[in-house]
Amino acid sequence: MYLLEVKNVKKVYTTRMGGNTVQALSNVSFSVEKGEMLAIMGESGSGKTTLLNILASLDKPTGGDVLLNGKSILSISEKEISAFRRDNLGFVFQDFNLLDTFSIQDNIFLPLVLAGKTYDQMNQRLNPIAKRLQITDILSKYPYEISGGQKQRTAVARALITQPQLILADEPTGSLDSRSSDELLKLFTEINQDGQTILMVTHSVKAASHAKRVLFIKDGEVYHQIYKGNATNEQMYQKIADTLTLIATGGVRDA
Amino acid sequence: MRKFFYVKLAVNNIKKNSQAYIPYILTCIGTIIMFYNMCFLATAEGLGVVSDHGSLRFVMVLGAIVIGIFSVIFLFYTNSFLIKKRKKEFGLFNILGMEKKHIARIMLWETVIVTMVSLVTGIFGGILLSKLMILLLFKIIAIDVPFGFEVPREAVLITVALFAGIFILNLIYNRLSVRLSKPIELLKGSNVGEKEPKTKVLQTIIGLLCLGAGYYIALTTESPLEALTLFFVAVVLVMIGTYSLFTAGSVALLKILRKNKRYYYKPKNFISVSSMIYRMKQNATGLANICILSTAVIIMLSSTVSLYIGMEDVLRTRYPRNIIVSSVSVTEEKVEQFDKYINDTTDSMGIEQIDVMNYRSLTLMASQTQNTFKISTDASGISGSTLLFFISVDDYNRLSNTNYTLEEDEALLYEFRAIVPGDVLDFNGLELRIKKRIPSFDLDGYMSAMLVNSCYVVVKDIPTISTIQKALEQEKQMQQLLSYFYGFDVQEDRDVQMSLTTQLRSNLNKEELQCSVDGMEISRASFYSLYGGLFYLGIFLGLLFIMATVLIIYYKQIAEGYDDKERFEIMQKVGMSRDEVKKSIKNQVIKVFFLPLVTAVIHIAFAFKVITKLLTVLNLTNVPLFAVCTLATILVFAAFYTLVYSLTAKVYYRIVS
Ligand SMILES: Nc1ncnc2c1ncn2[C@@H]1O[C@H](COP(=O)(O)OP(=O)(O)OP(=O)(O)O)[C@@H](O)[C@H]1O
Ligand SMILES: [Mg+2]
Repeated sequence: MYLLEVKNVKKVYTTRMGGNTVQALSNVSFSVEKGEMLAIMGESGSGKTTLLNILASLDKPTGGDVLLNGKSILSISEKEISAFRRDNLGFVFQDFNLLDTFSIQDNIFLPLVLAGKTYDQMNQRLNPIAKRLQITDILSKYPYEISGGQKQRTAVARALITQPQLILADEPTGSLDSRSSDELLKLFTEINQDGQTILMVTHSVKAASHAKRVLFIKDGEVYHQIYKGNATNEQMYQKIADTLTLIATGGVRDA
Repeated sequence: MRKFFYVKLAVNNIKKNSQAYIPYILTCIGTIIMFYNMCFLATAEGLGVVSDHGSLRFVMVLGAIVIGIFSVIFLFYTNSFLIKKRKKEFGLFNILGMEKKHIARIMLWETVIVTMVSLVTGIFGGILLSKLMILLLFKIIAIDVPFGFEVPREAVLITVALFAGIFILNLIYNRLSVRLSKPIELLKGSNVGEKEPKTKVLQTIIGLLCLGAGYYIALTTESPLEALTLFFVAVVLVMIGTYSLFTAGSVALLKILRKNKRYYYKPKNFISVSSMIYRMKQNATGLANICILSTAVIIMLSSTVSLYIGMEDVLRTRYPRNIIVSSVSVTEEKVEQFDKYINDTTDSMGIEQIDVMNYRSLTLMASQTQNTFKISTDASGISGSTLLFFISVDDYNRLSNTNYTLEEDEALLYEFRAIVPGDVLDFNGLELRIKKRIPSFDLDGYMSAMLVNSCYVVVKDIPTISTIQKALEQEKQMQQLLSYFYGFDVQEDRDVQMSLTTQLRSNLNKEELQCSVDGMEISRASFYSLYGGLFYLGIFLGLLFIMATVLIIYYKQIAEGYDDKERFEIMQKVGMSRDEVKKSIKNQVIKVFFLPLVTAVIHIAFAFKVITKLLTVLNLTNVPLFAVCTLATILVFAAFYTLVYSLTAKVYYRIVS
């Protein structure tokens, strides 16, 4: 069984003034196995964020279905959805989304506190994660006091601490310099090797080259996909770059 | 061409920031209208028809000064809020290649536009409203309204000068604050304040001490005379206390809560405690301002309203009878003359005297140690001395329908705040046995009794009083004679009472009898103009302060809204439901906005007693009336506050969602 199945998902935005509609996703289907690291690429405006928001149950599709462990997430009631999100999904976003009113430690604790865990339980989970992400020293600091890379690692820690089934990342390297990006991608690869399933949306060929599989979205559909197989990061990089050129010129279509 | 470019840009900026600018301009207009009207009343010729227009004008001048000072502080504060919000915009201009010189020019034009709009509308509105204001004032002080419409030049000039000054001051401040900041700071603008606030232990302790001391003074001050001076000390202490506790105390308290891990890491407390720390940091001063303004509004309205409503009481306290003739240092023969001429006058006018109250008495200021009284050689300390009031037992029996009999060495004693231990009164060696302590004493002397410690002593007869006086005033040459009080009620109407008063005055003066003749009706007019003037001022300032409160609340809501928008989104992503987030935020916002009101009510509860003392100085002794007025004012104010809150909360929710 797949961990995540996306079946014929459609999304049509209707602008507030009525009238205009935007077809962000026309027909998207794919599936993710447990332990996979999947990257989704596509031009700006191709509907990547829209897709991710639907997977995150932050938004509802106009048509189609999304299954997590064989269970449709669309059938979950409004009341249970936030608990569901908290227990099963972890998020890492481009702009970190840390709360400036909390210390780094409290930012990481936030989902666990909401889940009603005690301080000791939370602390037990935090220690190994913090050590691994090298943020032990900054736990008592505040978001405005740390660097972008540190912020992103904090966000990763917050995503990991709930031990989610799936980590969703939207442009996780988008606000980072190249060194911080490299560190983050290395980290993603490592936690993926430990068995964590990761799905990330990215513009960056470099980021995508760390993934085991890359999906390309165009005109609201999955247009093409490539597998890493045994290729190195560099080889994968070249493959992705080539594919992007082809897509841009209207070439390949074998998804 | 270029010049128009800046004007256009300035107009656009104001339009773009209309959410913040419109309330600001409206407030400017409002304050200008109010200030102009106070100046108008202080200078208007039309006020001349009021018999006692001197004191009325004085009240209005006072009002104008208060409003003037308030306007400067308040508009400056509002402006600084605006400019803080707009720093980002200026930063962007700066980075897009506009020099600070040009930004300054845009600011100049913005100021010119705001000034023109506010001053023209304000003064125009003020002039239109002034007729209404004078009508209202005359209605309150119960005087027929004169015809005519006037625009005193001084009033207009003073208003223009003051507000032009304020706007220039604001412009200078804005220019400096942009010039002194780096572009990067400008860009961050309102976000620079995101550091976690420090715990200020010292300030918290100072705040607690000040507040405690202020409350203590308010609760323990007994004599109205002390209240008069100590009240202001208490007000200052409570203000310092309020500011420090709102700014430092609240953060300290929240941080203590945060240290308690069992409490803090609960879903409900986790978010509210940490957000409140920031909210308090950003809003503490504003909230303290709201708290103090609210306290001032409520106290001012409740006391002026009760003074106005209780005016009849006050008149009765001040004038125990409709017509009062009183004279100091009168000989026995003169007393008979007084009686004769007063009776002659009323007889000739065919008026019947009702409830006549006449007696002779002696009032002396003495210094008291235990039960011994001596004439104070230094007149400095009123607080350490006691007022002695002597009356003969015959007069006393007649006035209070009793029949005590006293020997020469016996006395009846009524202590008003003074305490005489033992059962002997010692007047500089002359001893009198206290035969009885009487529980109440309702004669004249009321006024002074309110202010100082007093002893009312009833003795056998007038010669005894003289003996005591001699004992007390040994070395003094000129001995003061007893005074004489003659008062009576009449049933005739107002006009007759007034002519009787004037008639008595001229008749008694003709006979060279030194005395003062007071009629309640004659005084009523001047009482009305003074207390009515205060009442009017109370309402007026009340409105002004309420307007200020509204504006501060409004700006706070906008600022909060923009800050919360982002948090609101993040929390949903991390696994809070929309409803939970909304509930939590609503909870915090309500806490923040109702904190000042609750604190204000607590302040008033503590201040209640000392204010009743102050009101006795103004002759208002009706405590229940004041209590009712205070309660009513609090309720009305709270209702109004809630209304303003819920209206502005709409703006807030529109911003966050
Ligand atoms: N709330 C919305 N209402 C209406 N249209 C929207 C909304 N959100 C997105 N769109 C439209 O849907 C399309 C897809 O947007 P989306 O944000 O998913 O693109 P994206 O692939 O994430 O782009 P980018 O790489 O620039 O982030 C765009 O045409 C966008 O204008
Ligand atoms: Mg996107």
